[in-house]
Parts: sequence; structure tokens; C-alpha cells
Amino acid sequence: MHESADEHTMERILNKNDELAEHNRDHFREAMTCTVNLMSAPGAGKTSLLEATFRMAGRKFSSTVIEGDMVGELDADRIRKTGVSVHQISTGRSCHLDANMVARLLHSEKMEKTDVLFIENVGNLVCPAEFNLGEFKRVVLLSVTEGDDKPIKYPVIFRNCDLVVFTKCDLLEYVEFNLGEAEKNIQAINPDVVTMQVSSKTGYGMDKWTSWIQSQIEAYRQEQKQTKHVHQHSH
Amino acid sequence: MHESAIAKSILEIVSQRLHSIGAPATAHNVSVVFGEFRNAEPESVEFAFDNMKAFYPGAANCQLVINTISAMAQCKRAQHKYHPEASNAYRCPTCDSGIGNLLQGEELDVVNVVVELDQTE
Ligand SMILES: Nc1nc2c(ncn2[C@@H]2O[C@H](COP(=O)(O)OP(=O)(O)OP(=O)(O)O)[C@@H](O)[C@H]2O)c(=O)[nH]1
Ligand SMILES: [Mg+2]
Ligand SMILES: [Zn+2]
Repeated sequence: MHESADEHTMERILNKNDELAEHNRDHFREAMTCTVNLMSAPGAGKTSLLEATFRMAGRKFSSTVIEGDMVGELDADRIRKTGVSVHQISTGRSCHLDANMVARLLHSEKMEKTDVLFIENVGNLVCPAEFNLGEFKRVVLLSVTEGDDKPIKYPVIFRNCDLVVFTKCDLLEYVEFNLGEAEKNIQAINPDVVTMQVSSKTGYGMDKWTSWIQSQIEAYRQEQKQTKHVHQHSH
Repeated sequence: MHESAIAKSILEIVSQRLHSIGAPATAHNVSVVFGEFRNAEPESVEFAFDNMKAFYPGAANCQLVINTISAMAQCKRAQHKYHPEASNAYRCPTCDSGIGNLLQGEELDVVNVVVELDQTE
């Protein structure tokens, strides 16, 4: 018998995905586009947040959207109505986007060079957490109708994100959602995370959200300037 | 189900190892580790693995050996080492602060592949 452990040391199972994510990162770097991966449970308000963003922050930064959905183009159609260009990835039976799906899109469709690219992941608090897409920042949305215990039930996604947005805050008075408790639960898992509250419906908190996006666009540019070395980029 | 994506990735690593030998070979087993702070459910991955392995030459009888690694955290406030538990909202039992570092529990790796060269007459 031949134990191949001698020749190869450990290998990350999702190695291939991570390599493709790096490749996607090169594409984003070429376009100088700050890429944000939006994740949440189904219906937490990802598309609504994007619609509100484009309605309210139209001139502050330019945007493109990648919509990941299992079937149909419902969300893509909603984004199109705002005038922002959108690219659809139909994931079929897959419950998450992976780096390969994004890479295929980047190679087959001409992407606009915008300040920011929002990738709306498939609504799911488990699977998307495992797959890097090459994004600069990861955002998780938690709607107040879901309950403040969700970070405890889905620790992986809440640990591996940069920002948590509490959505549908206009509904706070109707539901038992303790913001302080939710915040404490998230901080215990991810001490460096930023949190904020919004309502896409009333516009509450939208200024904070758009400022955060602007600060990330700036941070991304700074980072690219500092790491300005030649990147091999092959297809 | 992302568990099938994980199973597929493991099988691709097995295939690659078989290929790298440069002679006909068969994979007997592959050992993997899943950290507690990863979304990989062993039973689902195993089920998907067993359903797919026949499609990978040399892996049809390959056994998947999964070892889970429990999480070990260092708390934010005083670097106490502890096992973060959902029942305690992942907080440190000594000082109630949260996870500073996760020392282990985020693994998702292939650690070993056992292969045998095929007999040739
Ligand atoms: N009251 C209220 N309802 C909201 C808000 N944001 C979204 N909704 C509603 O929540 C529902 C789901 O919103 P979507 O924006 O489609 O959620 P999503 O996360 O994109 O959903 P999937 O892509 O299917 O996972 C819709 O009926 C929205 O009108 C909000 O701020 N306040
Ligand atoms: Mg949506
Ligand atoms: Zn402590």
C-alpha cells in the first residue's frame, strides 16, 4: 500500500473553490471594483436593500449586481427596474453561489467597471458561508422578524462576515426582537464585526449603510494601492 | 445541498492523487477532518460521497473516514481557553467574554489518501 500523505501534506477540501475565488479577485482588481457578498436567510431583504440603495444613493457611487437565484429572474428584474445593470446566475439545485459560477459569469459576460459590485447570494444561512467568491467584504442581513437567537443557531456565517445589517427595523415594534441581545450574540462570535439597523421600507439607517459602502470602496482602493505588485492573470 | 459539493471536492482530490502516481491505482480510503465551526455534516457528506464515488475511476471502493475536531477558543478578554458552546452563546465560562481566536474547529481538510498500485500481469 502506498500512503500518499508522505508526498502531499494536508489539503484544504475547498482548495479549488479558493483558487477560483483568487482568480475572481484578479478580475475585480483589474476593474478596481469593490465587491460585496450579501448573504441572509430567504426573504431577509437583500433585494429590497439593494433597491433602496440605488433609489437613495444613486449618485454617490456606481453599482453592478450579480443575482444568484435557484430559479427565475424575479430579483434580477426588480434590480433592472432601478436602472442598475444586473447579471444573473441560476444556481439550479445548488443552494449557494460558488467561485466557479462567478468565474464562468466573469468570463462569459462583459462586466461594467463600477465602484461596487453587489453579489446577492442565494437565501440561505448555511451553505453560502463555506464558499468564498473572491469578494472584498461579506455582509449578512438579519431581519428582525427572524429572531435574535439566529446568530447562535448559525454561528459560522455570523463569524465569517464583516458587517451584520439588521433589516426591516420598521417592524421592531411588532415583533419580539431584542436588538441588544442580537448584538451581544453576534459580538460573542465575531468581536470585530460592525452592526447597523436599516429599514428599506422607510429609509431608516440607509445613510449609515451607504456611508459604510463608500468607506469600503475607499478601503478597497487603498488596499490595492498598497499591494500593487504584478498579478499573474491567466484564463 | 452544499454537502454534495464538499463530497465532490474530496473525490476530486482523490482523483488527482491517483492521477499523480502515473500508474493505474486504486484508492482505499481518504481521511478528512471537519472542524465543529464549519458547516459540514458528516452523515450528509458521507451519503453524497458514497453516491458519487462510482463515477470517479479508481475510487469506486474508496472509504471516507471523517474525523470531527471540536472547537477550542481563546476568549477575547483574558485569553482563557474554552470550548465554545451554543448553550452558553459561545461565551467564555470563566469571564463571559466572547471568542477572541478560534484555535481549532475551522478545519475542512483532506489529511490522508491511501492508494494501492493495480496489479499488472
Ligand atoms: N416591512 C418591511 N418589509 C421589508 C423590508 N425589506 C424587505 N421587506 C419585505 O420582505 C420580503 C422579502 O424581501 P426581499 O428583498 O425579496 O428579500 P430577499 O432577501 O432578497 O429574498 P430572497 O432573495 O428570496 O432570499 C418582501 O415582501 C419585502 O417587501 C423592510 O425594510 N420593511
Ligand atoms: Mg432577493
Ligand atoms: Zn475568559
